[in-house]
Amino acid sequence: MRIPAFIPAVAVALVAAAAAASPLVPVPAGIYRPLFRGGNDAKEIPVAAFRLAIAPVTNGEFLEFVRANPHWQRSRVKRLFADENYLKHWAGDTELGPGCDAAQPVTWVSWFAAKAYAAWAGGRLPTTAEWELAAGAGFTQADGAKEPEFVRAIARWYGTPTPAVLPAAGSGRPNFHGLRDLHGLVWEWTADFNSAIVTGDARGDTGLERQLFCGAGSAGARDASDYPAFMRFGFRSSLKAAYTVHNLGFRYAKDP
Amino acid sequence: MKPLVISLLAFAGVLHAEPVPQEKPPCCREEAKPDHLLSDKSLYQLESTWTSDAGCEVKLGVLRGRPQVVGMFFTTCEYACPIIVENMKSIERALPGSLRGKVGFLLVSFDVGRDTVEALHAYRAKKTLSDEWTLLRGREDDVRELAALLGINYRKDARGQFSHSNVITVLDADGEVVFQQTGLNKDATETVAALEKLPAAPPQPSAP
Repeated sequence: MRIPAFIPAVAVALVAAAAAASPLVPVPAGIYRPLFRGGNDAKEIPVAAFRLAIAPVTNGEFLEFVRANPHWQRSRVKRLFADENYLKHWAGDTELGPGCDAAQPVTWVSWFAAKAYAAWAGGRLPTTAEWELAAGAGFTQADGAKEPEFVRAIARWYGTPTPAVLPAAGSGRPNFHGLRDLHGLVWEWTADFNSAIVTGDARGDTGLERQLFCGAGSAGARDASDYPAFMRFGFRSSLKAAYTVHNLGFRYAKDP
Repeated sequence: MKPLVISLLAFAGVLHAEPVPQEKPPCCREEAKPDHLLSDKSLYQLESTWTSDAGCEVKLGVLRGRPQVVGMFFTTCEYACPIIVENMKSIERALPGSLRGKVGFLLVSFDVGRDTVEALHAYRAKKTLSDEWTLLRGREDDVRELAALLGINYRKDARGQFSHSNVITVLDADGEVVFQQTGLNKDATETVAALEKLPAAPPQPSAP
């Protein structure tokens, strides 16, 4: 019943995507409850109100960014800031090519590149707490965990391989805040992706390693049913800032 | 403890007021700057500005010219950081004569809130760090970025302490990562061997 209502919005978003960055919507203040905690970590992290882009940044939007900032073009980027696969799916420095759609979310981008884009767009990357808070909202209520349909929908995606051809950014069903594709399209960089501590940690939090990698682990986690959150935690902790990955993109945030 | 800190702060104040000629803060030392361009893997490309325990504002590129042994820490750390610093000191002690005075040691704080210039300065005194050591503090974003470049994960806990990976990194004279040691209390041998493999640093200029 709601589907026909938002088709025009998708069309508008896609047209807009070619020209300008995705619009932002407000996400009200809330509480993020981390899945994994060390003995001294807070159970609840208050998150102030912020704004988040409705959809991940697209190839078309990123193309404008590299045109305006040539040092982020594929042949010019410094190896320190992006590995050798940076934007490898594009045909050239400022050319997407036939196999790459302007409306698809940009992938093969490093954390540094994502951060630079966000700053260029007048924003920043969302923190992990902000991202998780926004992504925890269901389709119809602020707490998606209370919405079985939402829980099933995201579990389906996290159990499905990334399709060879990515759908357009912004085509997913909007969540309670009006945000799309937080689940179901690509993984996304966060500002503090490297706050996930798995090994070699300072003060005996290495129990996190057990929590993450063994079946027994779920016993120590906040909510053993939140399997997608396990996956995101594990994925983030495996990243390095210069890495680029075929199904890892980003969206940007701004203060209210 | 408190009187000690206060006296150190007072001491720092005196230093600022009347610079002692022989006290040459490491970050302000002029390294021999090679002519060649930095490679695109050099950390010294970073534009971020840092403040040393001597109050100097510097970019990391100021450290160019000799290898650096780098650790990240915070001064109120009770467990891991003192060990990291001890490990770095044991690397300094284990340096062969040919490398003495030709390797720098860099500590960068996670704690942008509490590790002020004064706190860093007091830490240098408390740990009796030699003049080869540079202690830096920076903006939160810049600390997160440097940590990302060094492959160090960290987060602040409810008590304001930081959980963090324990990594000691060797940068060559041009700021490229050439060796990393992870974990605590590793023998200094491997790190020293990594330093010995680097090309000899140019002779240090005499103090201007």
